[in-house]
Amino acid sequence: MKLYNRYVLTVAILLLLTTVIMIATGQNSLDIYFTVYVIEALVITELYVYFNSKARRGLSFVSTILFGGFTIALCLQVVRILT
Amino acid sequence: MKNRNIYTWAGLSLLIAGGLTSLSAYFVFHLIWLTALGICMLILSFILIALGKAIPKLPPEVCSLLLETGIDNIATLIEELGIKSKAIYLPSSLASKYPRAFIPLHSNGSRPEITKALPQRLIARYGSSPEDIGLLITTIGSTATGMLESKPGATPDELESALTSLFTGRLGVADSTRVVCQNNHIKVEIHKPRLENGASWSHQCLGGPLATMVASVAAEAWNKPMTISQEEQVDGKYYVELEVGK
Repeated sequence: MKLYNRYVLTVAILLLLTTVIMIATGQNSLDIYFTVYVIEALVITELYVYFNSKARRGLSFVSTILFGGFTIALCLQVVRILT
Repeated sequence: MKNRNIYTWAGLSLLIAGGLTSLSAYFVFHLIWLTALGICMLILSFILIALGKAIPKLPPEVCSLLLETGIDNIATLIEELGIKSKAIYLPSSLASKYPRAFIPLHSNGSRPEITKALPQRLIARYGSSPEDIGLLITTIGSTATGMLESKPGATPDELESALTSLFTGRLGVADSTRVVCQNNHIKVEIHKPRLENGASWSHQCLGGPLATMVASVAAEAWNKPMTISQEEQVDGKYYVELEVGK
């Protein structure tokens, strides 16, 4: 339980800090916000290797969803550049 | 209604809040930063829901109740028999099915050599002499070893990884572990242990709960009998020293 709490807190703090920093730097693109969030969430999840198999399965599913969202954002950006 | 835990509830709440925030911020208020904040909440909600499914259904109080009852029964048995010899932690290959602790009833100072698998009984015979008899008991370590995803190898790194995975990831009873091997001794350092060690007779014989788990996992990894030669808690660290048998 302690490990889960630490993981959730790490992700929450990191995402909030990122939001504050990006607002402060005047970032106004939702794609960039989302891309940074996805990368951070994936990296933190990979760093917590000692989760049990059930938790890891669940988090792998979340990672797949996030990566899917990232791919869609990337494709939309490519289409926007090409047209 | 399903029995949902606090992670699932927090996840569902964040899912609703995040969905409403991001949709209204994007389509009504046209605020990118608020939409991003909503997305943050959605990502956290997915993570919490995923973790909620991995949380054990039994509350910690029930687990503690079962643990204390089991330990108390073993302690009573050992104290009644007046056993003073140290337990030998056997790997599954010598103890039938899973690693167990063997306590010789008669001890002349030397450790008995167990070369063949003992029968799956409480009172087991390990030699031909009438005094070659002892108690073969299941400990916390026996059950904890079953929680490992795979059998660790006989190297300090693999044992350290298995113990950290067990103590930190599965049981949440310590922060990390460090393993050092010296000749036929294995020294394990457990950082910030959260399991209390009793001082009863049975603890002197079997070792504390953490030492029991360390000995069982190490016995299984090395595939050799192990004895807890020393254990102590100093400044938020718990030291366990094991002696590897033949």
